[in-house]
Amino acid sequence: MVPPDLNGWLFMHELSLAHDMTRIIGSALGRKIPLDRVNVTIGPLSGISPESLRFCFTEVAKIEGFGEPELVINRTRAKLICLDCDAEYETKDFYQSCPDCGSISRRILSGREFTVDSVELEEGND
Amino acid sequence: MCDDTVDQKVDIATSVMSRNDRFAADNRKLLGDKDIYTLNLISSPGAGKTTVLEFMARFFGPRMAVIEGDIQTRRDAERIEKAGCQAWQIETGGACHLDAHAVNHALGHMNLDPSELELLAIENVGNLICPSGYDLGENMRIGLLSLPEGDDKILKYPSLFSSINVLMINKIDLIPHLDFDVDRAIEECRSLNPDVLVFTVSAKTAEGMEEFCKFVELNFI
Repeated sequence: MVPPDLNGWLFMHELSLAHDMTRIIGSALGRKIPLDRVNVTIGPLSGISPESLRFCFTEVAKIEGFGEPELVINRTRAKLICLDCDAEYETKDFYQSCPDCGSISRRILSGREFTVDSVELEEGND
Repeated sequence: MCDDTVDQKVDIATSVMSRNDRFAADNRKLLGDKDIYTLNLISSPGAGKTTVLEFMARFFGPRMAVIEGDIQTRRDAERIEKAGCQAWQIETGGACHLDAHAVNHALGHMNLDPSELELLAIENVGNLICPSGYDLGENMRIGLLSLPEGDDKILKYPSLFSSINVLMINKIDLIPHLDFDVDRAIEECRSLNPDVLVFTVSAKTAEGMEEFCKFVELNFI
């Protein structure tokens, strides 16, 4: 049996985010040139699937004239503060409770970040 | 060669959501200037967003307008119009979320001037992940979770449930038939989001809905 062609990748928001990334890179560089690497940071509460982003960005970067850069993803942890014992801790897994007292009463301090940090140009393109 | 590579690195340090966030700020200003209070309603498909909005349309009448986000069809906008409100349908044509630019475009087509208009409800595309990163310019973000989806969904989708102001648990008329532990869902939502306000409702039987509408109303009257 052949599964129907759902054109499923159109349904990822990572595709529009990949376009936003090339827009940001293009305006920072002032031109479109082949890149060697693109460094991004993704937090666990950004709602972004790193692998979907990699898939989409690879296609979009090529179409938009940035060559075939390696997408280097720095995956951060969320920072939390326990509301029972004030301990600060970091996690990617929200099933994890406070490592000091076991409470799940907490406030999230960070974890939504999604930034283009830097790009590295191919040799001879500086 | 290593030195060359370092020399060719260009720092950018820009949030990818910055463009969306600029449109969201524009929307917030435009709506704020007109004293229109705005809701962003997010859930998975079938959780009951449109049924909740139909009740709200009957409660608020022409005081409310609705933006409907769907991948295809005007069906939801027609349901809202029939219930008594102005509705604008955004057909995303494949995109899994609304962004602030699409909402900005919709606002340009809607009649926001009637003096009785006080509330705008935006029904996002049914999805628990993609809409969570997009500020639309709302004043209140509502996450809707319905009993048939299961009580384990909150910690599975922390990007949404950590970002909402209000959790609505819908279809509570099904409690006798399902294993959904309402207290567990609320506790897990508070573990991501200690300030979240919770309403348990059935949009179908209307249980809890008037209380919810009066709570929304308190924010702008």
